[in-house]
Amino acid sequence: MQSSENGVESRNGVAESEQHILNFLDSVDSYLILMETLSSALRQGWLELASARHSMGASRVNSALFDLKSHHASTTVQVNDDLPQFKLCKWASSDDPEKYSEEAKFEEDELFQNKSDGPRHQHQELQEKRRDGGASPVGTDNQAQKERSKTLSMFGTLVSPKLRATQLSFETALEMLVEISNTRASLLHAYDQVQKDRTNTE
Amino acid sequence: MANRPQIRTSNSALIAMIADEDTITGFLLAGVGNVDLRRKTNYLIVDSKTTVKQIEDAFKEFTTREDIAIVLISQYVANMIRFLVDSYNKPIPAILEIPSKDHPYDPAHDSVLSRVKYLFSAESVASGRR
Repeated sequence: MQSSENGVESRNGVAESEQHILNFLDSVDSYLILMETLSSALRQGWLELASARHSMGASRVNSALFDLKSHHASTTVQVNDDLPQFKLCKWASSDDPEKYSEEAKFEEDELFQNKSDGPRHQHQELQEKRRDGGASPVGTDNQAQKERSKTLSMFGTLVSPKLRATQLSFETALEMLVEISNTRASLLHAYDQVQKDRTNTE
Repeated sequence: MANRPQIRTSNSALIAMIADEDTITGFLLAGVGNVDLRRKTNYLIVDSKTTVKQIEDAFKEFTTREDIAIVLISQYVANMIRFLVDSYNKPIPAILEIPSKDHPYDPAHDSVLSRVKYLFSAESVASGRR
């Protein structure tokens, strides 16, 4: 009787170890896919920036024009204890960093709640959600547009459409970077679990 | 509990950057730039005149500031301070190595993947079979 109970426990332990290994491999796969997607987004952004510099002139798009007066970041991240998890908060008012528009928050929870889906499927779902957008209140859209214009204004009042396109590409890259941060955290967590299982079996 | 890491909860935190001018320009356009009252920024532009010491100091500063949750560093810059990046093991801020215009991302040099690649090595598989 006792030996059959031990057998069941041992099988459960092996199944759990295998699940940890699968989680780890899924995380590594997601991480690599996201890095590849990030590379594409950044390449797009650099190309658009080069086009903007070409049309506006190098003297109008360079680091000498960066705003060095005291100001808060409009785009920040929120962190919580679990894993940890990061959440991007885009285009809050830089005058009052504590006020965030609800539409501006980028939800990362789906990435962890839909664990049964493959990483590629999860990523595709997230891409579709971004494209669909959903209805956004006019007020929050105005807030985001106001902050975008404020940021662009460091390069002058009239800017090339390519510079606006650069802004959007790097916003996309930022969203991916937050996803990558969360995937990195789950990858390291899964790795720790696999290491612990290896130590227990040795 | 003395060794418990300092993890901030749910307050807004910054994204710091150590990268080339174009990458920093792009991310500043996306709204991550922050300048405090002492005119300290959350980014360091790396060019041909930037020394390794400056990069090291910026990395140490960004990884010890409590208001920074993510540090983006171009991978070619991370390679200049590889020993420092690889020895960093806190959960926050998260260090992310990103590609640059002239240096594409190389998974072989990524500090996170380097840490876990042991599990894929032949020695690891062989030791598991013993």
